[in-house]
Amino acid sequence: MTEVVQNVRTELRLYIEENFLYLHPGLELKDDDQFLTLGIVDSLGFVELVEEVQARYAITVEDVEITEENFGSIDAIVAYVEQKRRSA
Amino acid sequence: MCGLAGIVRSDAAEPVDEVALRRMLAAVRHRGPDGCGIALEPGAGLVSSRLAIFDLPRGWQPLEASPGGGILVYNGEVYNHPELRAELAARGEGFDTTCDTEVVLRLLERDGVAALDRLNGQFAIAWWQPAPRRLTLVRDRFGVRPLYYARVGDGTLVFGSEAKALFASGEVAAAPDILGVDEVFTLWGPRAPRTVFAGVDQVRPGGLVVWERGHIVEEWTWWMPEYGAGEPPDEDLEELLRESVRLRLRADVPVGTYLSGGLDSSLITALAQQETDHELRTFSIAFADPRYDERVHQEEVARAIGTQHHVVEALPRDIADAFPDVVRHAETPLVRTGPVPLYLLACEVREQGITVVATGEGADELFWGYELFKEVVLRDLHRHEPERAEALLDELYASLGPAGSRRGPAWRRFLLETGADDAQLGSHRTRAGATAVVKAFYRPEVAAETGKTASLDRLRRELPAAFGRWTSLERAAWLELATLLEPYLLSSQGDRMAMAHGVEGRFPFLDHRVFAHSVRLPEAEKLDGMREKGALRRIAAKVLPAAIAERGKQAYRAPEVAPFFGPEAPPWVEEALAPSALSESGLWDAQRVDGLLRRCRAGRATGMRESMALVGILSTQLWHREFVGRGIAGYPPESREPRVRIDRTGEPSAKEAA
Repeated sequence: MTEVVQNVRTELRLYIEENFLYLHPGLELKDDDQFLTLGIVDSLGFVELVEEVQARYAITVEDVEITEENFGSIDAIVAYVEQKRRSA
Repeated sequence: MCGLAGIVRSDAAEPVDEVALRRMLAAVRHRGPDGCGIALEPGAGLVSSRLAIFDLPRGWQPLEASPGGGILVYNGEVYNHPELRAELAARGEGFDTTCDTEVVLRLLERDGVAALDRLNGQFAIAWWQPAPRRLTLVRDRFGVRPLYYARVGDGTLVFGSEAKALFASGEVAAAPDILGVDEVFTLWGPRAPRTVFAGVDQVRPGGLVVWERGHIVEEWTWWMPEYGAGEPPDEDLEELLRESVRLRLRADVPVGTYLSGGLDSSLITALAQQETDHELRTFSIAFADPRYDERVHQEEVARAIGTQHHVVEALPRDIADAFPDVVRHAETPLVRTGPVPLYLLACEVREQGITVVATGEGADELFWGYELFKEVVLRDLHRHEPERAEALLDELYASLGPAGSRRGPAWRRFLLETGADDAQLGSHRTRAGATAVVKAFYRPEVAAETGKTASLDRLRRELPAAFGRWTSLERAAWLELATLLEPYLLSSQGDRMAMAHGVEGRFPFLDHRVFAHSVRLPEAEKLDGMREKGALRRIAAKVLPAAIAERGKQAYRAPEVAPFFGPEAPPWVEEALAPSALSESGLWDAQRVDGLLRRCRAGRATGMRESMALVGILSTQLWHREFVGRGIAGYPPESREPRVRIDRTGEPSAKEAA
């Protein structure tokens, strides 16, 4: 794992913990846990999450990319950001 | 305009305590600071606190039709009372006053509740008929004026303009209705007859409730908004609106207007200035934060029309300081701080010696001005022209995001997909979904009691029979009237904030004839693509600067989190949200609230979700502390001598007995 990827992972985890996990005290979030399935992120929270990723990593998110496959877990977002950066 | 209250018992031999009535009077005194009156019957008592608008020296209440006859206490205005009086006078009726109250009582005594159809105005009525021991409670068509009631004991009915009057009686205890509170965190307000208090009901807008000898014997709706294709209107909207404004300028006191700087209030102000023979006074709210501030537009309109203009700047500290009073007057948890500046504005209006203001309320509902209506159109457009729809969706709710920003694809997706499969409530699922964020802070037992969809399920069960035959935009319009206009805008943000300072709001767009006209207008006259309110803009173009007549809607909002944190924040905020206080109210999970508080203190709770959650939780805490568990010691009795006293009990008055 590169240092850049690790930084993205750390930043994202911190963001998720700060913004959403306080509503789920005691939950140990794993990197592959699904936000929506576990109810960690509600629909409006999902909007904020995508906007955050877009702004923080200066990437343009296309409509068709807003899927659980890309934004459903920390692992998913890390992979998505990495892929977007590679193709930029 | 007044506050009213009363107690009626099934058994005439069971007395009503005058001191209890005086406590109820004092609880609604702010609604009618000019004087009060009491009527005592065997087993019944009705009281009125008056804000004098018509026939200042003689229009006191309670009013009796004849010695021993019917008695009326009444809160509101019937604007067409001179015409109705002339009609009655032509048939030989005599009048002692020039006040609308007497016209209403005589019409009711003559025609019964069939007379309601004749009334053009905003009112809550309690009409007592002694012989059948019957009390009829009535609310105006749109529910501008509030009216609460509770059944207690062996058939006693306690009623009042505000719920606090019921609690002041000593016969009704304040306790939360969790399902009512959940409606606030779904739709922004509880839908009548439900309230946020267990055992307390409210008369439905356009509804009436008849109590007789201990039982509610009738409960029905005498007017309801109806949609559906009909003949296009043949009356002229401009003339209708002018007539509505003219009627709403009728008063024996000066009338001003609220001016937001948007199309609706500017149009009402312009028409009012043309219809009045004195320099109109206009009142506006301003904010230091440019995201909320509209003062440039307000000043432009005031200059163009030539009004004497007043501005109240709502500073963050002002918002925090007034918030407990706002919750006390609203009598409900809130999800926005929007009512606070209107509370501050009404205070200024009163200080300037004005007691009546006309506003633009209702235009967005009748002429489809909200972004929500555009969402409905764009969801439909997306099926045929997805790219165009997505580009337009991006521009909705621009004021909610950072200045100049576009919200992006996730926002578009949220607007497109939320409610897309809900043919009934789809138009309102985005608002309900966003508001439900507050529910994530419920304690587990509260979440279990309310369920995830209880409030929407109830709404779904109570949709009108014709709902399915209306167009998607008409359905959205009905839902907007039923879920936001009365439960929140006219109540928490309207009546309660103005009447807290004894100021009466009047709403020319909510004349039922204007509503009927708007329903029959072709849809494109209300929303043509993304251009809303075409029918109103054509009138506005004649009386307002072009920039105002064509100005797009700016959502009214006030600062939400910032006023309650930081060095200037009042100390009661942290106290109200402390674990012990949360435990007392029993609604919120302390650990989760603590997480939110940490983010608020750090200045990180800047999004819509957490703003709404903070306001929702904080207001609930204040509301609970204000009402629940407060005994009658917290409700001192009215000490003013009544200007009217009707006593048919044959008992010595409390004062005489003392």
